[in-house]
Amino acid sequence: MRNLLTRLKRRWSDTDRARTDGGVDSTASFWERDVVRSAPFWLPPFLLIGLFVYGAVLWNIVLSLTSFTGLGSPDYGSLSLENYVIAFQGGVPSWSELTVSPIWNSAWNTVVLMVTFSVVCLALGLILAILVDQQIRFENTFRTIYLLPMSLSFVVTAKFWLYMYNPQTGLINIAVQSLGFQPVEIVQNPDLKLAAVAFALIWQFSGYAMIVYLAGLRAIPTGHFEAARVDGASTIRMYWRVIIPQLRTATVSALVVLTVFSLKAFDFLFSMYGGYQPGPSADILATRMVREAYANGNWAYGSTIAVILFVMALMIVTPYIYSQYKRGEL
Amino acid sequence: MTGNQPKISRRTALKTTGVAVATGLAGCTGNGSEGASNQLELLHAWSSGDGNAAIAALIEGFQEEHPDIEFAEEPVNGAARGNLDQVMQNRLQANDPPSTFQTWPGKTLGKFGGAYEDIEGDVWNDDLKENYLSGPQAQAQYDGSYVTVPLNIHRINNLFYNTAVLDEAGVDPESLSSPSDVVDACATIDENTDAVPFAHQTSGAWSTTQLWETILLAQAGIEGYEAFINGNGDSGQVQDALQSVVDLSEYYPSDSSSISLTEANTMVMEGDAAFIHQGDWAAGAYGGNDEFNYGEDWGHVTYPGSEGSYLLNMDSFPYLANNPSPEATKQFLSYCGTAEAQVLFNAEKGSIPPRSDADVSSLNQFQQDQFEDFNAADSQPPSVEHGLAVSPGVKTNISSAFSGFLESADPASTADDLIGSFN
Repeated sequence: MRNLLTRLKRRWSDTDRARTDGGVDSTASFWERDVVRSAPFWLPPFLLIGLFVYGAVLWNIVLSLTSFTGLGSPDYGSLSLENYVIAFQGGVPSWSELTVSPIWNSAWNTVVLMVTFSVVCLALGLILAILVDQQIRFENTFRTIYLLPMSLSFVVTAKFWLYMYNPQTGLINIAVQSLGFQPVEIVQNPDLKLAAVAFALIWQFSGYAMIVYLAGLRAIPTGHFEAARVDGASTIRMYWRVIIPQLRTATVSALVVLTVFSLKAFDFLFSMYGGYQPGPSADILATRMVREAYANGNWAYGSTIAVILFVMALMIVTPYIYSQYKRGEL
Repeated sequence: MTGNQPKISRRTALKTTGVAVATGLAGCTGNGSEGASNQLELLHAWSSGDGNAAIAALIEGFQEEHPDIEFAEEPVNGAARGNLDQVMQNRLQANDPPSTFQTWPGKTLGKFGGAYEDIEGDVWNDDLKENYLSGPQAQAQYDGSYVTVPLNIHRINNLFYNTAVLDEAGVDPESLSSPSDVVDACATIDENTDAVPFAHQTSGAWSTTQLWETILLAQAGIEGYEAFINGNGDSGQVQDALQSVVDLSEYYPSDSSSISLTEANTMVMEGDAAFIHQGDWAAGAYGGNDEFNYGEDWGHVTYPGSEGSYLLNMDSFPYLANNPSPEATKQFLSYCGTAEAQVLFNAEKGSIPPRSDADVSSLNQFQQDQFEDFNAADSQPPSVEHGLAVSPGVKTNISSAFSGFLESADPASTADDLIGSFN
């Protein structure tokens, strides 16, 4: 097969190149173009990604405009924004006999989780990075310890924190009791539920923020530290005025990854609450989406929620990509 | 680097890419299920434990009678039924149904509504109609046609207890006659022993939904229960049942939100808890413990107040339209409808056969007692939590209401949510 191709190519190019006027032959150059010669490498992944990622995203958007409920095939003939109206206002849609509640509650929880999780993660990661950067002993060991939770899957973290939050034997409540308080119900407490989820996720991902910041810190020339010292800046002032402003790129890239992670907290909630019913105070868009699609068979409505999630993720990622592009880093 | 090296590696890369693309494309186009009509494809979620032993016994029994029929048995991993439903959904969308699959009968069938075909006459003959009691028989139908064959029954309205703990507390389980008696008994146990009165898990909502439906049945009677599942529930009755759950929750383990059913049930086995309300799969766990015997170390009463009812949770195998193996599937479903098959299956599963004429002498004593209760029951209502009584959409609403109830413990607002689940 390969030989045949080579021979074919050679024959064409041979005849084409046989011009004597020394001019450039367009047909010959077609096969010689870089983009064509490299096609075997980029074309298959390009097509596969195009079909399975972007194609699927587009299909999902179209699906969200139908009223598909899992039986037969979707009717692409009559597209409408009904599902989006239902998502924002609630009501009885044409494809169901049951009232569908709007997504505000889960959307709000999603945003709260996203903001708390990413901000605290970044702050904690920065502090850890600065501490680890002080040329301490066993630096590698500390780094590994802080990063290790990130290697666990959400399922493990969820089960692990379920033990940690146990009112009788959990470490958190042992600490609370040792301070002289009564044990606290955490897992099913509407006031603490979402905070408990965020806390566990922060525990898991602040190590990641630390690594990103550590790389940022290492990239800052030692001279900057020394110059600040010579000018008589205190440690806090030095970090606040000189070092942290230079960590902008690290912050933005870590922030993007972290917020996207928080949109995917589905697995965590699924494992912690044994299903996609974490209760109203911890319900996020992802759990709502799976519930609509898989438990109720409301596929089109599930797709609608998926599109809303997708737009939220885009809103976070786009400014980042745009600023990278503006600064010529893309 | 010699001039040849990059060329060779490029060729290799090209070849590898080519193979990968070809494989990928083959994966897209391949249908994978060019099954002969004699090959039966059975999808189920019993990939481990007693369920796995039960399905193995059933298939072995069937193949002894029909050695010519091949089995492509496919346990869908992850144990949870949710995964199986997702696989089924995908298969049906691709218009590639298996021969049959494990599903709850009753209203759950609505999930794949038009995917079933009537098997009245072929499978549901007079023999089956005579020997299935009216409750289970009604659950085998979707829109008035017989489409599925129930093969086991787990009971939901049970109260299991640890004999030693109740003796120590001075509580006689047989004397309890209403859900509030259970609460009073829990108070006595709390006073007289160190044990947790009522083992229960609240990390997931399902155990509480089950408990509530049992208490509703016990307090509102079969009429009140049926009114609720038909969407005409009485708000007062619903709220009273929720209040009873709240009363009982005083006696849960203090870490109920962090434990699973297995841990709650183990508390009963180890004498750390007195009662547990659960489907009779809880007894399956006791059966695995030689030190913990029925009648001596643990006992069972029908949940006080719900005597006369056998609250059903069943598994069944439906007949799918566009069936890849019509004859073989019907033979298999007919086999599942026999008393012999049901005894083989339930001996391992710990549940009871739905056929009232089954010879249960080979089952254990607890199962025999349950079977006797079943045949003596005045009514066999379907379970809400286990998908028989309400459509999937309503069930999701009810589960959401209970996941909220676990947070708020508010009977009034939860009652509104539950009644509103049907609208």
